[in-house]
Amino acid sequence: MAIIDTAGARLHVQRLGPAEGRGGRETVVLLHGLLTDSLASYYFTVAPEFAAAGLDVVMYDHRGHGRSGRPALGYQLGRFTDDLGALLDRLELPGRVHLVGNSFGGTVSFDYALRHPERVASISVVESEPATASWARKIAGLLERVRHEMTVNESEALDWITAHRGRRTARLARSAGRLVRDTAIADELTVCAPVTEDALRLLDPPVLAVYGADSDLCEQAPWLGSLLPRSRTVPVPGHEHSVLVEAPGRVRDEVLAWIAEHPASGAPATRPRAGTGPGARPGRGPGTGHRVPAVPAEVNTP
Amino acid sequence: MTTTHPAGPPEADEDAILADITAMIAEVLEDDGLDGTDGLDGTEIGTQTRFGRDLEFESIDLVTLAGHLEARYGRQVNFAEFVASMELDDIIELTVGRLVEHVASCLKSAGAA
Repeated sequence: MAIIDTAGARLHVQRLGPAEGRGGRETVVLLHGLLTDSLASYYFTVAPEFAAAGLDVVMYDHRGHGRSGRPALGYQLGRFTDDLGALLDRLELPGRVHLVGNSFGGTVSFDYALRHPERVASISVVESEPATASWARKIAGLLERVRHEMTVNESEALDWITAHRGRRTARLARSAGRLVRDTAIADELTVCAPVTEDALRLLDPPVLAVYGADSDLCEQAPWLGSLLPRSRTVPVPGHEHSVLVEAPGRVRDEVLAWIAEHPASGAPATRPRAGTGPGARPGRGPGTGHRVPAVPAEVNTP
Repeated sequence: MTTTHPAGPPEADEDAILADITAMIAEVLEDDGLDGTDGLDGTEIGTQTRFGRDLEFESIDLVTLAGHLEARYGRQVNFAEFVASMELDDIIELTVGRLVEHVASCLKSAGAA
């Protein structure tokens, strides 16, 4: 276990890889979901097999989650994205990496790739979506509901969860309730200027999107596929939102194939890193009079 | 050729491993600043103790424990590999004894190698 300090948060990082050193291999960074999730969802599913397949595997807990620090403030999407950038710097991973994001971890992956396309070889998201206006509304509703239930009726809510979902889920829910109640996440994560379709059309790295075929999110597959020319959408039958932990073998196979098709040593990034802030270069997409900033500057920086 | 430990180093003794792992569990629970639990809080740990049900371990606690195992025993004890074939729910219901057996068997094969 390693703890890495980024601006405003201490991040718990785990790394797996074959014993024979890390040189020259593809690096994959695994990003987990919101509230009840942690890097354990990868550590006990696909991560060991990614390492066995020869990848350098980096996992970390988002700020406020798992064994990472839980600051009172600083939960705008941009802060999560900045954590990823700081982590890559601190781990001295200057080349392009493959991002794998489950649920909210995929939202962070999209956001990072929009801001730093030159550092991303490929994106694989599981049950996830970019930070669009509809995502922001959904997250705001979810966080508000959790805050209400865990503030007003915590013991009743936990009793219900224990009875219907088991003690383990109840314990995770209690911890998630604390995150929502004791930090500004419910206020800050929702104050996010949404990403537009025009910005998504300019997304550079190729995107694999895996869905549980029975999940609501799966309805977005055609929409996402139409926006992203270099993408593949894969519905996994018989599963809902928890497809990563319920069907890890399938997710592993899809992601490994996607990474193999898009090696970091392959086609170079189309945009240089230096001097490219959002809007720093003229738009290159046809039909857009001006470049839409991929992701706006951070909201209400203290 | 007078070794009295043909099966490996002294650490391969299961009682010693249980003591090691008990100390690691206490450390994991102490590090968990989230729940107001303080270490073992009087809980006796034996081979039948289950990580999830008895110790209220979450999966992230097992990740931390895996880190302690590697720090103590080196890469020959690979927890991630050990649980690779299990479902998350089975992992969380592991007993301490099962983990002790796994560590002992890893150390024995490393010692025999």
